[in-house]
Amino acid sequence: MSLGRFALKRSLQGIGVVWGVVTVVFALRFVTPGSPINAVAPLDASQETRQAIAAELGLDQPLYIQYGQYIFDLLQGDMGRSYIRGQEVTTLVFERLPATVELAIAASVVAIVLAIPLGVISATNRNDPVDYGATLLSLGGISTPNFWLGIMLILIFAVEFNIFNTSGRGVDVGDVALSVANAEPFVGTLLTWLAYITLPAIALGTYFMALITRLTRSGMLDELSKGYVQAARAKGLPRTLIRYKHALRNTLIPVITVLGLQLGTLIGGAVITEAVFSWPGLGTLVIESINNRDWPALQGSLIIIGTSFVLVNILVDVVYAYLDPEVVND
Amino acid sequence: MPTDNDNHVDRRTVLKYAGTAGAVGLAGCAGGGDGSDGEDGSDGDDGMDGGDGEDGSDGGDAFEVGVTMGQMDSGLDPQDHAETNTEIIVGQAYEGVLDRDKEGGIIAGLADEWERTDDGSVRFMLRDGVTFHNGDDLTAEDVRYSIRRIVFEDVGIVSPQSNDLGVVDEVTAGDGEVTVSFEGYNPIAFQLFATNCEIMQQSWVEENGGDYINRNANGTGPFRVTEYNSGNEVLYEPFEDYWDGAPEVDELRMSASSESSTRVNQLLAEETDIVTNVPPNEVSRVNGSDVATINSVASARIIFLQMRYDVEPFSSQQFRQALNHAVDVESIIENVLNGFGNITAQPTLEGHVGYNPDIDPYPYDPGEAERLVEESGHAGVEITLETPIGRYLRDVEIAQAAANQINSLSNVTCEVEQREFSSLVQDVTAPDIEDRPHFNLLGWGNAEFDGSQTLTPLLSSSGALTVLENDELDGLLTDAEATEDPDERVEILQEANQLAHDLAPWVFMHQQFSVYGVSNDISWEPRADEFIDPDTATQQ
Repeated sequence: MSLGRFALKRSLQGIGVVWGVVTVVFALRFVTPGSPINAVAPLDASQETRQAIAAELGLDQPLYIQYGQYIFDLLQGDMGRSYIRGQEVTTLVFERLPATVELAIAASVVAIVLAIPLGVISATNRNDPVDYGATLLSLGGISTPNFWLGIMLILIFAVEFNIFNTSGRGVDVGDVALSVANAEPFVGTLLTWLAYITLPAIALGTYFMALITRLTRSGMLDELSKGYVQAARAKGLPRTLIRYKHALRNTLIPVITVLGLQLGTLIGGAVITEAVFSWPGLGTLVIESINNRDWPALQGSLIIIGTSFVLVNILVDVVYAYLDPEVVND
Repeated sequence: MPTDNDNHVDRRTVLKYAGTAGAVGLAGCAGGGDGSDGEDGSDGDDGMDGGDGEDGSDGGDAFEVGVTMGQMDSGLDPQDHAETNTEIIVGQAYEGVLDRDKEGGIIAGLADEWERTDDGSVRFMLRDGVTFHNGDDLTAEDVRYSIRRIVFEDVGIVSPQSNDLGVVDEVTAGDGEVTVSFEGYNPIAFQLFATNCEIMQQSWVEENGGDYINRNANGTGPFRVTEYNSGNEVLYEPFEDYWDGAPEVDELRMSASSESSTRVNQLLAEETDIVTNVPPNEVSRVNGSDVATINSVASARIIFLQMRYDVEPFSSQQFRQALNHAVDVESIIENVLNGFGNITAQPTLEGHVGYNPDIDPYPYDPGEAERLVEESGHAGVEITLETPIGRYLRDVEIAQAAANQINSLSNVTCEVEQREFSSLVQDVTAPDIEDRPHFNLLGWGNAEFDGSQTLTPLLSSSGALTVLENDELDGLLTDAEATEDPDERVEILQEANQLAHDLAPWVFMHQQFSVYGVSNDISWEPRADEFIDPDTATQQ
């Protein structure tokens, strides 16, 4: 199988998965108690008002018609209108998506910048106090619930010391880029951006950081015990060169795979962190939509989250196939 | 801490008496067809504006106010929602023909005079010189269109507010005045118009689609929307041509955090100035800081445990009364709500039209409760109390406390079932009474400050959520609906409240408080109707 065909096959499978997501989410509304009408109408609305609202939202149609209509519209890029907000779901979702992606990337950066050096130090100082310290840190990172960490970070760094903002999103990364492009003094904008994004990025990135630290440490230990390292050492190459040029490079291959896969998890898993920090991303929209039984908005958000998962997976698979042609023939 | 709460109670009590007096005075004037008192009220505001100028010359710093609520708006169309958070956000830019003061009394809005005509219609005389934010003048046609857009399905949208103005028959626009006629007398027409019906500009609505109307605002209100950031924040500037003078606030920012701890943290980090729904356990953290204080007010929301009259054991009046004796509401207010609640004895709240001052709460008396259960013939019964989770201030904790107290009776077993609000509400509003829960906790906000707006939907046979069918009560409510004399109507409603107390369709719990955290940088008094009015805030 050629690489092109492999990519095509994976993409078709991806479309199947997204369709599955759409169908499952659509089916959920019929087993979930509660109706969007109660989020739209006051509690004492008459039955006539309720029926008029149901008709306006298309809820009076039989299920298969609603489903067929939804899929038909979806194929044309129309995710319908939010029951509660009366706005196009496509607009709503794409308005929120950048905030979530920005936070996911910032969290990954925080995680990588801390995790890889920590993993390397830990591996090269095996069974030293430094190693124990790093292991303890990563254990802590894996076992700390991120909503609790978020609240603690806010209490300490925002309320007590007033270094960062407690919540919200002041400016986006685009504003920072714009001020650079316009040759404006961008330091102020950059600082504002950092004041808002730092704490949620740490809260979201900590679990991820702990994971990468452990992966780097074990991968590095693995590589350092291999024959080529001994050969290099016997040859008299400097230690740092062996460690950072040869061993670390090889360690990073699986790390990058996990990184890619986890980026999808970060986009979908930011829901709680977004709630704690009032970060105006998809996660906040998902929670609001669930509370209001706003099915179109919920479906739209989950389709986007599902699609980004699938896309990242396809990308990782294709990159892998490129690096290791044997994968294609499996 | 207890002394602190006492102080709040004192100030609140004073406010409440002032409010009651105001409401009665204004209701009288509205009935007499003389709106000049309303004008006096706005003159007072003008006086305050004079003082504002001085403040400006003192400081020179921009006066920015931030408000953080639990949830953002569901779009900016003021007529296409039925929900408090959205109302607070759109209500900065839009106004109705009538308005309310902080205690809930009716005051002038876009109409400076209002009257009942001889045939029972109501007429609003519009204020001169009111302009929309886009610079166009407000016309009687705009008002007519706005009312019709709410009431009639074939005008613009299917509005969830269509029942909020009574059964409107026709709306006619004259020269600077609008007349609304109803099917029947609609004795609470002015109450309804003071709470509902925000006015939009006809041409602006017709020229723009729903998407645009939900993201932009063109009202007549004190603030103009400058930036709408869906789900994140809304920014406003003062409307310089506001008919009552532009507000003192230079920039207003509305945002939301679903986590109450995040809201409190924002307040303590001085990022915002007013936060809503501070939970009782966070109160001391706010009051203990030197940047903010708690400011609370008795709201128009009543919390109760409703019992369906048609299922055993709740079909027994004695059993229902027994539960009222079994629950120690005072101790729940003290221990679960840190004092943020008033005990109730009837469906109508103090200060609302039809409140009966002669009814005392059922005394807490477990012995009497056990005796009544025995007499009802339901000794040994097992019941389940359903409660929403996180919908009302400490709802689950309140339900658990009440159920525990009932459970401690020797002859009743009571359990709590926690339910997600939208699923519980689905059952509570089921078209058929047989599908409704037997015993559940519910809260009811009465935005019109009129007893009938609680009694009719919740306790009359035809009510959308009723748990009771009682001919005598139905008769009283029908009488009240048709009674033109306000005093006579109050008497009928008082009688209905006495009857509701005796029938005990609810375990009467408490009146909920709105608890705000307010920055020490500003001076602002909360309102009884849960609306937030930063245009009345002043710089400290």
